Amino acid sequence: MVLVEVMGVDPPCKRCATTQKNAEDAASRLGKEGIEVTVSKLDISAKDTISKYGVILSPAIAVNGKVRVAGRIPSPDEIMKIIKQLGPS
Amino acid sequence: MENLNPKVRSLRTTVLVAFVAAVFAALVHSRIMAYSLAPTMKPADFHGLPIWYIPLAYIWDYLSHGWICLLFAFVTAGVIYEFIPKDIINRYMSSGKASGYALGVGVAPFFTVCSCTMIPLFSGILYAGAGIGPAISFLLMAPAANILTILLTGEIISWQIAVVRIFTSLATALVAGIIISHTPWGREIENEHKSNSPGNASTSIEKLPLDEKMISALKFSWYLGRQILPFFFAGLIVVSYVEAFLPERLVVGYLTGVQGILLASVVGGPLYTPTLVEIVLGRGLLNLGMSQAALLSWLMGQPYDIPNMMAASKIARWRVVASYALIAWAFSVFSGLGYGVVIGKL
Repeated sequence: MVLVEVMGVDPPCKRCATTQKNAEDAASRLGKEGIEVTVSKLDISAKDTISKYGVILSPAIAVNGKVRVAGRIPSPDEIMKIIKQLGPS
Repeated sequence: MENLNPKVRSLRTTVLVAFVAAVFAALVHSRIMAYSLAPTMKPADFHGLPIWYIPLAYIWDYLSHGWICLLFAFVTAGVIYEFIPKDIINRYMSSGKASGYALGVGVAPFFTVCSCTMIPLFSGILYAGAGIGPAISFLLMAPAANILTILLTGEIISWQIAVVRIFTSLATALVAGIIISHTPWGREIENEHKSNSPGNASTSIEKLPLDEKMISALKFSWYLGRQILPFFFAGLIVVSYVEAFLPERLVVGYLTGVQGILLASVVGGPLYTPTLVEIVLGRGLLNLGMSQAALLSWLMGQPYDIPNMMAASKIARWRVVASYALIAWAFSVFSGLGYGVVIGKL
């Protein structure tokens, strides 16, 4: 199972909301291919998020605990590609 | 990242780079030909115009030459945001006081054209170890000296004011940060968050090819434009009526001298919720006779505008916010007075 964490400002700004949508989009498309993806949302300015990832440019995405995108909106295709690169897990 | 054939990719890169180069060239050209990118209508030009036509005339007057400036400002903001190396921030954010201040006032304003980055950066600097001082400096410096604000202040009002504004904001930001980091309530916030050091180990950022970076940059420009321009145009409409109907003797009477500075510094802050409107409105009042010194105080009110304070008070609580608002206000008054004395006109 793959965990995708979307980090954004809370309440979400438009760019963070788009990123969240793209991540969910990618997850549902990968679901059809048999890859299970969970998308969860983190508040980027929360203490826990900062001490875990130290990302300060929103929107950001971490896949399986690793920050892969920060400060821009990745497309669903790009998110799918990042997940597929992980290989079978 | 998309799978494209290399030819399409290099063609796309060329077109995008050419577009950005053309925008830059247009601005340079306007400089060489020395034509104004600011609104040129004077209050007297509005007399006798039908009431519905006033904003149209003003917006047309502005856009017919100001579009270059707006396009340049938004494209530059997008490109800089996309291309500035972002790991600088992560690297220096937690490395102690002095570099924390340098980061807050020097680098961070380039990232903060959008509230998407403003709030996370503030809490990031605070939590990651640099502490409350640099965080406050950043919060005060960012809105006063980001790329959009500087470019538009320079083009619409004057570059002299824009440069003075950068330096006075810098002084305000540093002094406010240092003072607050020594207050008991500032220390209290800092101690609460001290133990958090950011985990940098778990990062491996995806690299994008140049053409996709450019597209991402221009998309961000477009996003900024959509966020800010509606307010900007609403501002232009208000300013056109202000210029047409606000009697000059009222502005000259109230917005000049020491009283003008005091009034401008108080009215300035709460008035600017939307970004950039203060610049057009300031220009309009300047045309009507507001003094340059009062205009500087007016522009410097921005850091203590209300939405900004609300966001900060969620993290740093009201005592810190009240302290920096007071310091920023005092600096806005003293900068106005100082500037008035230096240019010889209060």
